[in-house]
Amino acid sequence: MKCESCNKKHATVHLTEIVGTAKKERHLCEECAQSINTHLTKIPSPTEILTSLINQVAPEINEMSKIVCPVCGLSYLEFRSNGRLGCPMDYTIFRKGLIPLLEKMHSSTQHVGKVPSRAGKELIKKNELMQLRNELNKAVEKEDYERAAELRDKIYELSGDNDED
Amino acid sequence: MSFQATTMKISDLADNTGEWLRGTGPESDIVISSRIRLARNVARFPFLSRANVKQKKELEEIIRERIKDSDISQDLCYLNLADITPVDRLFLVERHLISREHAGGEGERGVAFGKSETVSLMVNEEDHLRIQVIRSGFELKEAWKTIDDIDNKLERKLNYAYSSRFGYLTACPTNVGTGMRASVMLHLPALGMTHHIEKVFTAVMKLGLVVRGLYGEGTQVSGDLYQISNQFTLGKSEVEIIEIIESVIPRITSYERMARKALVSESREQLEDRVWRSYGMLKVARLISSEEIMHLLSQVRMGVNLGIINDIEMKTLNELFILTLPGHLQKLEGRELNSTQRNIIRASYVRKRLEKIKSLKG
Repeated sequence: MKCESCNKKHATVHLTEIVGTAKKERHLCEECAQSINTHLTKIPSPTEILTSLINQVAPEINEMSKIVCPVCGLSYLEFRSNGRLGCPMDYTIFRKGLIPLLEKMHSSTQHVGKVPSRAGKELIKKNELMQLRNELNKAVEKEDYERAAELRDKIYELSGDNDED
Repeated sequence: MSFQATTMKISDLADNTGEWLRGTGPESDIVISSRIRLARNVARFPFLSRANVKQKKELEEIIRERIKDSDISQDLCYLNLADITPVDRLFLVERHLISREHAGGEGERGVAFGKSETVSLMVNEEDHLRIQVIRSGFELKEAWKTIDDIDNKLERKLNYAYSSRFGYLTACPTNVGTGMRASVMLHLPALGMTHHIEKVFTAVMKLGLVVRGLYGEGTQVSGDLYQISNQFTLGKSEVEIIEIIESVIPRITSYERMARKALVSESREQLEDRVWRSYGMLKVARLISSEEIMHLLSQVRMGVNLGIINDIEMKTLNELFILTLPGHLQKLEGRELNSTQRNIIRASYVRKRLEKIKSLKG
């Protein structure tokens, strides 16, 4: 069967169009079919399938894949394949990719624990406040208003006149 | 300050065990030990997987010297792991003074530990420094106080890699934040026998905790010994994490006690028979594999807890779990042994230890 459109090549694409109640069959060669309706003949390549899969599972990988840490030379892809970071700076360089990962691992992305005294008093205070606020939320959830009031006073006391929020 | 005279030989340690195995402390019938470790890295150095030979050497030197200069050094001695034999390293793993990864690692690395073996500081493990404190029984809060103090003292000497957002920065993001893993080692034979242990696992996992075998990640459970520890290290403070574990443990221990009681009331004779057979086996067997001895010791340990057996101390039993491991037997004999040789020596060692009890009593 020859292609209906160019009448030269062999028709390899057979389309059935339904417009209203009318059914129309068309027989075209591959080239003509592509020019008429590109998406019909486009079959995704394995790489494309993989990319779309990665995008679904870990959307940051595609975007991050080209990033390499200038300090230790580790690439984001290397990190994802062996799970180990190369230097403290990676936490800054790969931040965008790390945040969703940390969220998955720890259900959180913010440290609230110990602060080294070198890091300064301000930071210690900030962390303490953050912890007190967490506790306050918990107390309110549990409807323990006595404890909540206690915590509120502590927060006021610690944050002074100018509460940073 | 400086380290204790490092004339200490590993073989001097071989015939006894650390303080954490003495079988004392709260709930020590079921809770063998409480352990906390902190992961720390030195700022402006790559993590170890990206560090070259020179940087590793430099790190080992800096950290060793800073530990030596700190207020904690007088109680510690230091061993360079590259200088000792594989059997010695295995021996230190069995005593929980270093990790398997640390033993099998490469390059310059070492460990500082105290005489009572409650404190150990691993240099160049997965992270530059891992501090560990183990205590006998259920004493996580006490362990935290000790380790927090050590950490504070070292922090004055070492500039740790730290960010206000992510906390203590670690080589693996599963440890970032507090860098803390708190774990409790439990002996749960009755929950195992009555097939209720799976329920415990499910409940524990829902709270974000994990269950592991005797030697941590990826190790098999044997001797009914389980380690329960926190999975997350970020978003909660050290004390909050400890409190979560502390709230779970009493529920598990009372569950285990209930299971033991049920076994006693429903099948006393069978239970006693199992315990006495295990005890008998330990006293007469001529070949015992490491897998078998864990099982036998576990049964006898439960028997002692239930008052079925009275002539053996908890400390002795706890120690036998460690002293009969391959590295310890080889250290004791002073030579390398194949598995059949180990099985013979293990059996004769246990017989001797149990005969000693009889003669002391006799």
